Amino acid sequence: MTEAALSLKQRLNLSRFFSGEAPTAGPIVLTQRRVFILPTQRGLAFVLLILLLVLIGFVYNNNLAYLLGFLLASIFFVTILHSFKALAGLTIQPARQQAVFAGQAGPFRFQISNPGSQPRFAVDLTLQSELSISLAAEQSQTVTLYQPTRQRGWQLPGTLTLSSTYPLGLFRAWAPLRFDSPLLVYPKPASQQLPFPDSDGGQDKPGQNRRSGDEFYGLRAYQQGDAIRQIHWKTFAKGLGVHSKQYSGASSSELWLDYQQVPGHHTEERLSQLCRWVVDAEQTGLRYGLLLPGLRLPPDNGATHYRNCLQALALF
Amino acid sequence: MPFLPSMRLMLFMLGSIGLITLPHAWHIPPLLFGFFTLLLLWRLLCIWRPHYLPNRVVVFLLMLTGIGLLYSQQHSIFGRDAGTSLFVVALGLKMLEIHGRRDIYVIVYLAFIVAVTQFLYEESILMAVYILLVCGVLLATLITQNSQTPQTMAALKTSATIILQSLPLALVLFVLFPRLEAPHWSWLDDDTRAKSGLSNTLEPGSIAELSLSPELVFRVKFDGALPPPSQRYWRGPVYANTDGTSWRAPPVLGRENNPDQPVFTGATYDYTLMMEPQKQNWVFALEMPTEFGGGLRRNGLYQLITNKNPGDRAEYRLSSSPTYNTGGISKTERRENLQLPGKPSEKIVTLVKQLQGQPDRPELFIANLLQHFRQENFHYTLSPEAMPDQPIETFLFERRAGFCSHYATAFVYLLRVAEIPARVVGGYQGGQINEVGGFLEIRQADAHAWAEAWLDGRGWVRFDPTAAVAPERIERGVNVDLQIASGAVNFSPLQLDAKTLSWLQRGRQLWQSVDYNWQRWIINYDTVNQKAFLQSLGVDNFVKLGYWLLISVAGIGGVLAWRLLRPNLRRQDPALVLYRQFCAKLGKAGLRVEIGDGPQTVAERAKELRPDLAEAIERIAATYIRLRYQNDSKIEDLRVLKMLVTSFRV
Repeated sequence: MTEAALSLKQRLNLSRFFSGEAPTAGPIVLTQRRVFILPTQRGLAFVLLILLLVLIGFVYNNNLAYLLGFLLASIFFVTILHSFKALAGLTIQPARQQAVFAGQAGPFRFQISNPGSQPRFAVDLTLQSELSISLAAEQSQTVTLYQPTRQRGWQLPGTLTLSSTYPLGLFRAWAPLRFDSPLLVYPKPASQQLPFPDSDGGQDKPGQNRRSGDEFYGLRAYQQGDAIRQIHWKTFAKGLGVHSKQYSGASSSELWLDYQQVPGHHTEERLSQLCRWVVDAEQTGLRYGLLLPGLRLPPDNGATHYRNCLQALALF
Repeated sequence: MPFLPSMRLMLFMLGSIGLITLPHAWHIPPLLFGFFTLLLLWRLLCIWRPHYLPNRVVVFLLMLTGIGLLYSQQHSIFGRDAGTSLFVVALGLKMLEIHGRRDIYVIVYLAFIVAVTQFLYEESILMAVYILLVCGVLLATLITQNSQTPQTMAALKTSATIILQSLPLALVLFVLFPRLEAPHWSWLDDDTRAKSGLSNTLEPGSIAELSLSPELVFRVKFDGALPPPSQRYWRGPVYANTDGTSWRAPPVLGRENNPDQPVFTGATYDYTLMMEPQKQNWVFALEMPTEFGGGLRRNGLYQLITNKNPGDRAEYRLSSSPTYNTGGISKTERRENLQLPGKPSEKIVTLVKQLQGQPDRPELFIANLLQHFRQENFHYTLSPEAMPDQPIETFLFERRAGFCSHYATAFVYLLRVAEIPARVVGGYQGGQINEVGGFLEIRQADAHAWAEAWLDGRGWVRFDPTAAVAPERIERGVNVDLQIASGAVNFSPLQLDAKTLSWLQRGRQLWQSVDYNWQRWIINYDTVNQKAFLQSLGVDNFVKLGYWLLISVAGIGGVLAWRLLRPNLRRQDPALVLYRQFCAKLGKAGLRVEIGDGPQTVAERAKELRPDLAEAIERIAATYIRLRYQNDSKIEDLRVLKMLVTSFRV
């Protein structure tokens, strides 16, 4: 787990101290290269306290006051080492990420482990959300931190900052880390509930209606996900509410979602609608296929198919 | 979001505050200390009853009360006493007002300041240890604040570790940090403690009070052998003016600038003398001081005077020679030392004539006089009857019982009647040897008065009339422990037998020795000592001092860093180490091993990826699984695994 050496220029790059080095796949071991330490405000106030004690020692010619001042000064010094020790050796690596829809808080999962024989107290993890954990000796823990998602596609976690003010709060040790572990963000499902489209799966064969062979056997109240063609307009006109026609046969629940036939002004709107339909279709238990320019996913059902469809939409 | 400190944190904090202020109960006016205690108890109660916390208005009123009390008790905020009270009251008020983590820090920092003010009152080793322990609790408060799972013992242990790791560096800083003599600011003085000791006036009786006090006056460490007990006269004030009952130091100002230089013959004693805090700026050198360092001057009466604050403990390097000749006498001096309050009575003139023998033989008269004291049923006692009228005559002719000042004053009086210039010298005589530390401890009980007569050709010569009556007083000195045993001094209700006494004495000597070194090396480490010590190390300028500081800090820091930061890994299972090497090799081949993937899964995927290596992969996985998870693994398996992994190439 040795890391590539840094050139002097890279070492002194200011962004290294705040946003971290270039993303890596991990795991990252926190070493002196990764951990930075600066006094906190309380640490600076502590320095003032030390100066005051030494001043008292000087004014009153009191050696014990000097001694206490020097003791606090060297505690200050020694705390730098302890601050480093609070983070040093921790190993962080991204865990398997779970995809989300755009707009949701993106959960980024990391596995953090403490290989040392000393427990770690109050390690703060900051992405967009914050979390404070303690790790026992030789313990690993998986943490989930959230970061908002806006756009579909792959999204990298921002800078994950590990920090700690343990033990005395005089210094803050921090390590900004960037990981090359993208999260897949699906398009945001459209909020509008449109009926399913009536599509033939792109096999443009006139007169050959896919449902022609199916037998009509009744009506039922309109359910979310029913195709527009299935709506029984007559009952609707009579003011009896919206009903769908039901056909017998397996193919009746087979549905093609075609990019070309989606209403919408631009790509994102169309993808968003398709996404909605995929979600609805999977929920209703329909068999659905997806047609995107250059991609054809035959009708199917189930978690894997669902993921494949959403991924196709996300990466379109 | 309201800040709610955990109960443990509050207990830690209030506990340490209580400990830190406790010794101040003896220094702070009772009203102020009572006010503080009230605030502390109030805050303590609020841990369990948070709704009892005062609101802003009440806090403001309490603050006004505090200011009022401070003003009425101290009239100032400067100086040791007022400043200490100020910080204690501020600490008490701040406790009631904790809104955030920041306030915890303010309180802890205030507590550190209050801790340091203890040292302005007491610098004993016990107080230092006590404050160090309390500082440990204060640090533990901060640790509790900064760790999520604070356990009382763990926090205390961590703080103790930090303190122990910091001590070496603190000591180095202590030694090397330049000590500058602070100017003496009078507005900071408010030391009103009464100290006992010799005074400017000698009245028979005053030394008797001192002789019951075991209080330490000074300690002396000789470079070589100790002078014999009969030469251990520590010279203090000289009393030459008398009104018949009391004796005073003469106005010596006119001659101070030009005292006669005594001529010394014989060996000198070199020694270090450490004065305890005194009220007078007198330094009690062994008679007669030949050399003395800066900060000391010798007045016309051959008494050493320091220009340092006598309230501070101070150490001096001195040399003395017991054989000396002070030379001539001026007319003024002769007149001063023959002064009598009036015409002596007939009885006294008769006595002088009777003892004088031949005129112009002062030595003979003195010898006769001492003989007189020895033969004529004079007694030595520390508790003579009071002699308010004509004390000298009453003493000489009626009571004939007294102690050093009775003998010395009567002796000088008779010499003056016989026209021999004479005076009374005050100081200490003897001292007790601390066998552990090899130094002399001189206590108030060793206070003594003797006489000095000016003899032609010999200068001022010491005579001790007490020695004529009670030679054992001079040879053995005052044994404080014996006085304790006899009941003359009493601070223990127990009756002590000789064995306990000897144990007690040994323990006390050991403790005194520790204390002496503490005083010498820690409390009294000042500009002069530092300079001498650093010069002995070869550090004679600031640049060198800077290097020393830098090297020490870097050295100690390096050792600490190495101790603290060396990898703290437990010895790993060798099979696991080999397996990790194997995984790393697979990683190079493009196989990503996720956390949680078992060896079986890894092997399956590796075989898919590299069917050509399937056999080797299979064997490695099987051996590893046997080593890690099966009971029947053999030591050879490890060797096999090592061989397999080493020869595995992707």
